[in-house]
Amino acid sequence: MSNLLIPDSAIVREVFHENDDTSTFTLQFTDAQKRLEYTFRPGQFNMLSIFGVGEAPISISSSHDNRENFTHTIRHVGSLTRMFGKLKVGDLLGVRGPYGNGWPFEQAQGKNLLIVAGGIGLAPLRPAIYYILRQRELFGKVELLYGAKNPGEMLFRHEYSKWAAHLSMLLTVDDAAGFDWNHNQGLVTGLFDKMESVPENTVVLSCGPEIMMKHVTKGLLARGFQSGQLYVSLERKMHCGVKKCGRCQVGSKFVCHDGPVFAYDVLENEPAEIIGVLGRE
Amino acid sequence: MLQEDHPLVKSAGTVSLPAAELKEFVAALMQKFPVIAPILKGREYVFAQLEDAAQLADDYQPTILPAKKVLQQPLETVFSFVRQEAFAEDGKCTSLGEERICFVDHGAAVQKKVLFGVRPCDVNSFNVLDEVFCKDLPDPFYCQSRQETLIVAQNCVKPCRSGFCYYQQTGPGLQRGYDLLLTELDNAYLVEAGSDAGRELLALHPFAAAAPEMSLARDELLAATSRRLPKHILTRNLAELLEENVDHPVWEDLQRRCLGCGTCTMVCPTCFCYNVYDKLDLGLESGVRQREWDSCKLMEFSQVALGHNFRKGRQARAQWRIYHKLLYQQRQFGKTGCVGCGRCIYSCMVNIDLTDVASTLGGE
Repeated sequence: MSNLLIPDSAIVREVFHENDDTSTFTLQFTDAQKRLEYTFRPGQFNMLSIFGVGEAPISISSSHDNRENFTHTIRHVGSLTRMFGKLKVGDLLGVRGPYGNGWPFEQAQGKNLLIVAGGIGLAPLRPAIYYILRQRELFGKVELLYGAKNPGEMLFRHEYSKWAAHLSMLLTVDDAAGFDWNHNQGLVTGLFDKMESVPENTVVLSCGPEIMMKHVTKGLLARGFQSGQLYVSLERKMHCGVKKCGRCQVGSKFVCHDGPVFAYDVLENEPAEIIGVLGRE
Repeated sequence: MLQEDHPLVKSAGTVSLPAAELKEFVAALMQKFPVIAPILKGREYVFAQLEDAAQLADDYQPTILPAKKVLQQPLETVFSFVRQEAFAEDGKCTSLGEERICFVDHGAAVQKKVLFGVRPCDVNSFNVLDEVFCKDLPDPFYCQSRQETLIVAQNCVKPCRSGFCYYQQTGPGLQRGYDLLLTELDNAYLVEAGSDAGRELLALHPFAAAAPEMSLARDELLAATSRRLPKHILTRNLAELLEENVDHPVWEDLQRRCLGCGTCTMVCPTCFCYNVYDKLDLGLESGVRQREWDSCKLMEFSQVALGHNFRKGRQARAQWRIYHKLLYQQRQFGKTGCVGCGRCIYSCMVNIDLTDVASTLGGE
């Protein structure tokens, strides 16, 4: 029986500093055969290891079309992710995956898409944006709402002009002090009054802090969206990625296996006491 | 081992073992396999590898830790890694210029063994854990160990101190999941084989044929044990009661009493959660990735970077355990998460009792 908990080795090919505490790492499997075999769906994650420090689930932030390498965008805030901040080109790390279900593109095909992201939550949505840009004709209207603490914290800024050619974008920050900022200010939910998206024939993809997603679902339900149209991607502690370590359970669901993307109607009737703020209050 | 026309095979593997010969049979098993069985340790019982058949506690109260610990060990090394130029050939290595990192799989070698004297509650817990560890992407540690472990189970002919297995349909008599099943009668054990591997074990001792009335005696004893169990749990509509009573005052009461120590989860035969961490040697050249039983009752269990905790309050954690045992595990795996062994009740320092919680929810 093979030991599915031993990672494959990957080498850091490029490090791009998105902002003060977040970097995007381009990784490549050292094994040529593994490079050929490895595929993923937008919204899936890998378990990344620094040997001697630990392992954590991190979303894949690159296009699934790129079969040579893949990227992870990591905010250096925990004991392991701070070590990621020290990685240089040529360093070695461990990768297992991909795990999880990914964004619901089967259900979204032929429909309008509303993407709502907060902070680092844009990282798992970036493969979805690439997916949409590559086959733009499969979807109706596509709108991206993105909020961050301040303009400097916004991820993938150099790509916005490319994205904006194919989809509508509304950006907002909590605080623009000290920045040259001509977009919106306030919470991402404040953009609902300005967006063009309507409930009819629209699928919503959202990722961000859970309290943000709670307000996103509330705000959209109040605007006539149905909970089955809303998809959220959850973060939980994980130690295996394969439905064994039990850390990521949300009610009867395993976030690593049944998620991380959930239709909101799966979560909304579970008690908040047990599954967290996205549950029934 | 045993020819197909052997009388024991023909008798469908039901035989009799005089009580005085039990340890002889154990000694015979020990000739062929490591035998892990309950032994007395201080005033409590534990599963341990026998060095001498005389150590066997044949009439024991539930062990401190469940028999699960033999299959999902409390602490195990997942793999080790070493950074160096040259390394043993059997490892999996990656070279990067001057640097080379090699892995050694610790999930590879598993020895065949006998788990002796396991109670029906613990055997039923294996059926739950099989769903967790051996479906979809199988866990090499648990599943290989499970495949290589022969189960000699032992029916409970006396009630234990806090069990309620009868109400969870997990005891005191075992229906399936054993290679051999022992039932202690007046002065002999009824020994029943439940698998070909079990029938083969019968060749290791000169058993006598079982008299037909032994099966009747077994049924009567088990029925009597069922009636005399110290605890009962309300099972009718329990799922609905839990779903409808998330805000019941009983949870507030648990929060006040629970110490958040995690003992209930450490002694639980169906708890499967684990933590993972790396350890480096002092030279920073090699290290191990280990995993260790963990507990949803401990505060750090659901905490992520930046300190956010998805189950921070003691109430959320106390409530989660009971919901998982009595509701979610059934939904996840189609098998009850509570096998009624009563260990969590007996071990709790502040007498939290999930059968009481169920009764309170049911208005009893």
